[in-house]
Amino acid sequence: MVKDPSTRTRYLTWLVVLSILLLAALGAWVYELIFGLGATGMRDVISWGLYILSFAFFVKLSAGGLIVASSAEVFGIKGLKPLAKLGVLTAAVCVLVAGVSILPDLGRPDRLLNLFIYAHWSSPMIWDITIITLYFLLAVAELWLMSAKMPEAKRARGLKWAAGIGLPAAFALHSITAWIFGLQISRPFWNTALMAPLFVVSAILSGTALVSLILWILQRVDALVVRGETWRKLSGLMAVSLAIDLFFVLSDYLTVLWDGVPKDLQVLSTLLPGGGYQLFFWLEWVIGGAIPLLFLILPSLRRRVGLIAASAVLILVGVYAYQVELVVAGMANPLIQLPPGISLGTYVPGESVFQLVGHYTPTWVELTILLGLLALIALLVTLGYRYLSIKASLTEATPEAGDRLDTDGARRRIVRGEAT
Amino acid sequence: MTKHWGMVIDQNRCVGCWTCAVSCKSINNEPLGIFWNRVLTGEPSASASVSGAPPASQAIDVPHGVFPNLALAYQPTACQHCADAPCEKVCPVSATFRREDGVVLVDFERCIGCRYCLAACPYGARAFNWEKEQYAPDFPVGYGRDYRTGGRLVFTPVRPVGVAEKCTFCVERIDVGKKPMCVETCPAGARIFGDLNDPASEVSQAVNRQGGRQLLADLGTRPSVYYLAVDRQGRLTD
Repeated sequence: MVKDPSTRTRYLTWLVVLSILLLAALGAWVYELIFGLGATGMRDVISWGLYILSFAFFVKLSAGGLIVASSAEVFGIKGLKPLAKLGVLTAAVCVLVAGVSILPDLGRPDRLLNLFIYAHWSSPMIWDITIITLYFLLAVAELWLMSAKMPEAKRARGLKWAAGIGLPAAFALHSITAWIFGLQISRPFWNTALMAPLFVVSAILSGTALVSLILWILQRVDALVVRGETWRKLSGLMAVSLAIDLFFVLSDYLTVLWDGVPKDLQVLSTLLPGGGYQLFFWLEWVIGGAIPLLFLILPSLRRRVGLIAASAVLILVGVYAYQVELVVAGMANPLIQLPPGISLGTYVPGESVFQLVGHYTPTWVELTILLGLLALIALLVTLGYRYLSIKASLTEATPEAGDRLDTDGARRRIVRGEAT
Repeated sequence: MTKHWGMVIDQNRCVGCWTCAVSCKSINNEPLGIFWNRVLTGEPSASASVSGAPPASQAIDVPHGVFPNLALAYQPTACQHCADAPCEKVCPVSATFRREDGVVLVDFERCIGCRYCLAACPYGARAFNWEKEQYAPDFPVGYGRDYRTGGRLVFTPVRPVGVAEKCTFCVERIDVGKKPMCVETCPAGARIFGDLNDPASEVSQAVNRQGGRQLLADLGTRPSVYYLAVDRQGRLTD
């Protein structure tokens, strides 16, 4: 696969860069293990931060793959079929890294096994660990089905089953991850029944965006041939799920604004323009909302593969911004907000140990670990792509007559008449 | 009938001196930066909803209202030992558990440090051991020994790094018939401790006759700590 020397150098450089990021993250984690979680920006008011919000983000990313693969199978969507294997690979990788990203968040990772020895079933966290494990195993099984040598009829039957389980499993995964937050009466911004549907749709959105982004990169660096039909299906899926996602959030905002219940309003007012977290509002609604939505639905723009890829990036930024809002802004305002507030858990000479409203800024330790987790996703996808012959799976479906190929991927437009 | 330990705090008697918070800190050897027990500058009105209301006051010890109609009340706040405790429900390993007598405790040997309990507690009553702690003075003070109940380590003078902790109702004291330290030391006699299951107990009498209210009662956590508001009808001394 990697024959051309310059491609090979690029490939090896990529692996080295990712490995360095990964090693740096490991180093940061060792530092954190020695120093304690005090090495992070989290304290007793905002007691979850970058790790948990990234965990939820990675869980969402894992959706796209399996949902894309399963819908191709279950609903017979032809345009998505070639993506099945790549999709399942990203699903397996993202859900694995989501699990890994919990480790640096634990105060006592040495007691990880307690989760299995003393599992307390009323805790949504235990439900989540269970479904994450099952989901990962399912994705690995599906990858094996797609790769192993076996009679085609047997493979097809196996894949039908896996796809049939995959869709409900993906729904369960995202709902349960949402319920970690949504069931908590202590945080008004979390405590909405919309949380699970919102997570499911934003998972489909961000997962599809990730698959699109990977596909676009492969098209650029590995001369992959992607059919126009495939891009159309992906951009359609992103447009629809983005619209539903924004509709859900809007519906939640309206409920809070119209009702005016102080505890709900207090949090939302920090998110809206003028509030302390407004940056994330703009990232969610404009950068990751309105702009990609226009790219994906305007007839004059929506056929441009470059813009579909750009939309995918913006969508990922928007969904990440939502995760920041959820965890950080969601925890900043405690229900009982009477002075002097809540003690922080650590002491810095000259500074108050109390906070009335929580403040959180991630430290270099958290940022380095986050970069490492992203590098781990990239590394595993790269290696999986290489060694699981994903490229063959992406190209083996021969294009039908009249279906124009978009080989260079960059800014070439597919003639509109053919694309629809 | 088993006991149900509960506490009543008379906000009309509380003078906001922080003796409860400081004696709690001493007996439990709480490190710098951690207060299991805080005296909030609070809400004088018994009818006011506490949940998410705008702060009655922006700063500690500052009365609320406009001169000359000022009101000042204190709301000492620690773990509410809820009968339906969110922290207990979310703990993935049952490190947080509720004893039969209503005391909610943390097993320091089982906690994995996920901090789900900190996220779930509506009262901000929990603290986490973020790093190796500093103390002033720099040696353990207070009870000074490990305490186990049902074999589980629920108190240790220096808590391990990476676990959650909170008010224990001074479990090591109440198990030998003493009162929690905050009740013992309150110079205004604003705190009563006793068995809520016994209708004749001082706490039950105070709750029933003087209209004890629970913090964020609308959340349904059923706290074991009751507050007697400043402007209530009939006072503890009457």
